[in-house]
Amino acid sequence: MGRYLLRRLLLLGPVLLGVSVVVFLVLHLSPGDPAEIMLGPQATQEDVSRLRAALGLDEPLPMQYVRWMGHVLQGDLGRSIRMRQPVLGEVLTRFRATLLLTATALLLSTVGGVTLGVLSASRPNSLVDRLSTVGSIFGASMPSFWLGLVLMVCFSLWLGWLPASGMYAAHGGGGLGDLLAHLALPAITLAAASMTIIARLTRSTLLDILRQDFVRTARAKGLVERAVVLRHALRNALIPTVTVVGVQAGYLLGGAIFTETVFAWPGVGTLMIQGILARDFPLVQGCVLVIALVFVFFNLAVDLLYAVLDPRIRYE
Amino acid sequence: MKRRRFWSGAALALLVALTAGAPIAPAQSASTLVVGLVAEPVALDPAQVTDLNSNRVGRRVVETLVAFADESTQIVPGLAESWTIARDGLAYTFKLRKGIAFHDGTPFNAQAVKFSIERQINPEHPANKLGKYPFAAYFFGNVKAVEAMDEATVRFILKEPRASFLAIMTAGAASIVSPTAAMKSGQDYAVSPVGTGPFKFAAWDRGQRVVLEKNSSYWRYPVKVDRVIYRPVTEDQARLTELLTGGLDLIVGTPPDFVAQLENHPKVTLQKQVGAHVWYLGFNNTKKPFDDKRVRQALNYAVNKEAIVRDVLKGTGAVSKGPVLPKTWGDEGGLKPFPYDPERARKLLAEAGLPSGFSTTLWVPESGSGMQSPVAMSTIIQSNLKAVGVNVTLQTMEWGTFLAKLRTKEQDMFALSWMAGSEDPDLVMYPLLHSSQWTPVGPNRAMYKNTRFDEVLAQARLVTDQAKRAELYREAQRLLHDDPPWIFIDHEVQTAAFSKRVQGFKLHPSFDLRVETISLK
Repeated sequence: MGRYLLRRLLLLGPVLLGVSVVVFLVLHLSPGDPAEIMLGPQATQEDVSRLRAALGLDEPLPMQYVRWMGHVLQGDLGRSIRMRQPVLGEVLTRFRATLLLTATALLLSTVGGVTLGVLSASRPNSLVDRLSTVGSIFGASMPSFWLGLVLMVCFSLWLGWLPASGMYAAHGGGGLGDLLAHLALPAITLAAASMTIIARLTRSTLLDILRQDFVRTARAKGLVERAVVLRHALRNALIPTVTVVGVQAGYLLGGAIFTETVFAWPGVGTLMIQGILARDFPLVQGCVLVIALVFVFFNLAVDLLYAVLDPRIRYE
Repeated sequence: MKRRRFWSGAALALLVALTAGAPIAPAQSASTLVVGLVAEPVALDPAQVTDLNSNRVGRRVVETLVAFADESTQIVPGLAESWTIARDGLAYTFKLRKGIAFHDGTPFNAQAVKFSIERQINPEHPANKLGKYPFAAYFFGNVKAVEAMDEATVRFILKEPRASFLAIMTAGAASIVSPTAAMKSGQDYAVSPVGTGPFKFAAWDRGQRVVLEKNSSYWRYPVKVDRVIYRPVTEDQARLTELLTGGLDLIVGTPPDFVAQLENHPKVTLQKQVGAHVWYLGFNNTKKPFDDKRVRQALNYAVNKEAIVRDVLKGTGAVSKGPVLPKTWGDEGGLKPFPYDPERARKLLAEAGLPSGFSTTLWVPESGSGMQSPVAMSTIIQSNLKAVGVNVTLQTMEWGTFLAKLRTKEQDMFALSWMAGSEDPDLVMYPLLHSSQWTPVGPNRAMYKNTRFDEVLAQARLVTDQAKRAELYREAQRLLHDDPPWIFIDHEVQTAAFSKRVQGFKLHPSFDLRVETISLK
């Protein structure tokens, strides 16, 4: 176990290095120039070249990469081109909001998805099962930004139950209740697609397992159906679900970009969109590195969780 | 059971960790104004930013020597109470107001003026390395020296006469900052500005809000709102919903599709105002067939500007007849916009030897500062031109790519706009149309050259008398009408929507957002 963990952690290095090279190249080779965008249509050639030089953008690409990487290795992600603020501080401040949103969405989609899956599987073709099937198709095929807007119009504009944007009320807010109210719509929007996937998967795996011999044995022992499904069958059905939850965590981190933009959630996604539009290279690179790091750790955690769920799995 | 308690404890700890240190907002107050911006400000030092949102917030904190009048871009005294211009137009001497202090308590004086401008143009200045000043050359490239004559007198020496210098001194880049604060905060000054303005900088929660607090000893008048909170809400529907549900008091940049809905809404007031802006379709005047002015006239007749303003912009544009803002001192009131007349367009094309039209390409940015609805507008223009036999291929690009491509001089036609933020005709006609400003050196991306027009503009820079300048600019506009460099499309009508409790707000033609005039009911 210890050696496995060490090996996985050592692999982090090459993975992050690869991510950094790809992000760096994609950003720098795509057309559009930060100086040009910052200065806008009023810029003279002189202004643009002066700013490019000041930003170090007139150096050859490999030089720029090496210089940046050198700083990154010392824990310095550089300064944002537009905001001139240290990238690390900006990203970490914003990442807390993203993590809160993603974690809540993951919790919602996992708990909601597994519950729906279990309900459907234990009563196949019942009303609950059919409703959940229809809901799943709806949820999976709906773009999150559209769902977000619909929820916003219903719950904020028409019903007036929940705030439409932000993380706290601009004035008079700040408490946990205020936070949860602001979190509700974005978290549901973000969770919807994942929840349906998890529900479908849990349903089909659980249906398979409920037909197996050990389940018949458990029933023959006289266990109540609840115990059969929840204690015996579900635990075995959860392995594929956990894998998917791990993958979904990554999707949720990525999908948060759209949800954050719709709901003005002050996370790393809105920061990254601004960064991309302005070609703020250090800022976007910093955001992607941090997201990649979290994603890799998430996958590691999921792998370790297998062993907890199924004692037969061992890591050597 | 034990394990379950462990997990719920861990979850609670995580929640607390994530929410800890969250900003505690001040208690709801009847005198707090909440403004919704389209995007978050980048920084708040107007000399270091180039975007509208940053300027709209930053300019509440710092002020300029000369300013715009309340409802126009006519120049009035600001931090300077008066000024004199040397006969040769090479020296501007400002008499400063006395007894004004920066928000940090240090005095506003001639040294502060010298500091604020010199930090941008003098590479040896101790504050020069503390920021990047993107428009230093554009605005102050013509400044040879700034001299503090005494505590309350400052003189600007120019390299060559430039009649629009006063208009330049109204720009955000010409704001006067507290030298003490700028040196103390260093690179962080841009996110914690200190000036003499109606509001003091209070706090900035990244991604969430910028908080300004009232300057209770503001020199001009007592400010009636205690606090202004700016919130970035990018999504149009979210901004609108927040306004209608009371989360925001005022929003700017209402999307055209929402205008009708807001105009008749009982809870909000919609205000409109023509801004110092122009949206145009540039020709490459050096390429065939655009080198023939009959072709350029023809295309001006071929486009239905009224339809664009009515159907695409839903009234958030005013049809343009040239680059100068209508009904300002430099405007040639005798000119009318080119009427929509496809018949005449066809005739002119035939005269130019193109009876069956021609094919060309039009470069359009997907979005961009001041670009309104570029793709929808260009699509109408495309179909208008098709009707007179001109086949246009639209090429849409991302803003940064678009600007870079225009420097290649390969464009046939392109859609672009210009926010001069001032009514001074020099600040729109000279950069956009004088032949010394051809891209890539300057912003004349249409590569327009008209010798007489060049002469008139140069002459107008040398006379400081406004009436004489106006005469020259009127001639310049008549020349442009006869020999059009672009298809003139529209001037943006800016919109603001605000709740009924907001009183005394007026949109300003410079696109500034002057919330200091607001009182709350």
